[in-house]
Amino acid sequence: MTDQLGALTTVFTEFYYWITVVLMFLIHVGFCMYEVGASRYKHHQHTLMKNTMLIPLVTVTWFLFGWWIYWAFPTGPGLAPSIMNESAALITDDSLFSAKWYLPNSDLMAVNLGDHISGVFWAAFLLFSWTAASIVSGAVIERITTFAFGICAIAIGSVFWSIDAAWGWHFDGWMLKILGYHDAYASGVIHAVAGGFALGILMVLGPRIGKFSSSGEPRNIGPRNPWLVTIGLFLIYTGFWGFYAACNIPIFDLGPEYGMEGVTYFTATNIYVTPTTLGGITMNFLMSLSGGLLAGYVIAKGDPFWTYSSGLAGIICASAGNDLYHPIQSLIIAMIGVVIAYKLHYWVERKFKIDDAVGAVAVHGYAGVAGLIICGFVLNGYPSSGYSVGSMWVGTDYAPINPLGMFIGAIIMFGVLGLIPGWIIAKVLHGMGKLRIPREVEIAGLDYNLLEAARDDEKAVSSSTR
Amino acid sequence: MATVTNWIDHLSAAEVQGAIYPGVGTEGILVIVLVVIWIGWHVMTDASESKELSSLARKRHSANDHKSNITDW
Repeated sequence: MTDQLGALTTVFTEFYYWITVVLMFLIHVGFCMYEVGASRYKHHQHTLMKNTMLIPLVTVTWFLFGWWIYWAFPTGPGLAPSIMNESAALITDDSLFSAKWYLPNSDLMAVNLGDHISGVFWAAFLLFSWTAASIVSGAVIERITTFAFGICAIAIGSVFWSIDAAWGWHFDGWMLKILGYHDAYASGVIHAVAGGFALGILMVLGPRIGKFSSSGEPRNIGPRNPWLVTIGLFLIYTGFWGFYAACNIPIFDLGPEYGMEGVTYFTATNIYVTPTTLGGITMNFLMSLSGGLLAGYVIAKGDPFWTYSSGLAGIICASAGNDLYHPIQSLIIAMIGVVIAYKLHYWVERKFKIDDAVGAVAVHGYAGVAGLIICGFVLNGYPSSGYSVGSMWVGTDYAPINPLGMFIGAIIMFGVLGLIPGWIIAKVLHGMGKLRIPREVEIAGLDYNLLEAARDDEKAVSSSTR
Repeated sequence: MATVTNWIDHLSAAEVQGAIYPGVGTEGILVIVLVVIWIGWHVMTDASESKELSSLARKRHSANDHKSNITDW
């Protein structure tokens, strides 16, 4: 940093991402409040701790291997050559964006005067990882063991979401090149994959005791503290602002980046390094939130839990293309996504006896998948990258955005990297007898011993004041 | 352990060394320590959780027993 303009750009970008990380922390605060509010009193404290402990577990593993996976896997490996070194192998060479620099023993993974940016990128992506794991956390409350959830959180937070980000979010990702995949604010990359992963676990984990009658009719176990759920969801909305900002590059000169001789064009870009504006995405964020709330209120007949969740589902559905949509398109797409998510949730619940305690699979998974598919139609023909645009399936250049590619992308996100790994991991944990808490504990309440100890403490305090 | 003992000398060197944390070169050992902490945490908490769950399961409390333990606000 020896010239002022370069230093200003670097320090501004460093600070910009740092702010997004702080904002995104609120997503996790919101998830914790939301889950505790949705759980029953006798499970509150364990529910809270389960979600809280994913923070250190995912952080440590993100440091050890999650971040490395993101930089190593854009080529598949073996599916499409990198534009940096023209090899389809794992990117571990000496190139500028190689995973080599992000091994946990690299001197760049620390305070390093030669690199001001990587640490805040690492943190921004880590907060996405927490979100992916936290989405799963809500679906499985009141019956999964903390040990099993920790393993699942690491798997989705530091492995599978990282692979899907490398494939469908990295500027060199094979899904962009072969499929024309476009997912600017992570309808699929975070939400569909985490929703699919949660569904895979739920298929093995089974419902909470009492959720279904002996004839198979579902019973409602509604949120026990709707006010905590409300504040939790408002905090998730708030943190989502940070998430949107974190998915952008705030200032970038696209002229030299695209190889346009003599052209200087400074702009904000999305994660694919194609232009957008913070103003435009702000409008789209608010319009998709509004669309989700409007549709949710109608379809859920004013139920607060579903109305708030629908606001979130609306944003999630529109997120894939919110870098380019018109705000009214964004609102309509959000409304469509909410209707699909709500209807599918109850259909799957009845048909397959899936107990998704907070509607996470619907809000994140189904709305995310719907958003990807819709994006393929609405943005059909847009370049998926600014570097070079060719045709589908070639893999040496970038396919344009198209419906078929986005549909396949949705299957990869929800099914291949979400549902299947979630199901397999849950099966293994179940086989080890580690997945689900004993029936007697679920009935008594995970917090029984804590509550009993608190009562004894109170008795002791009371007796000393007589 | 100190990587930098004089900032003026450090920043005016022909090539500024980027890594400034203590113990540059010991990253591999630090990573091994982190892996041990991570795996060890799982082992310890799994053991204590299994013990707690099985002892609570043996007591066979009913669904409403916890209500007698709810403390005053």
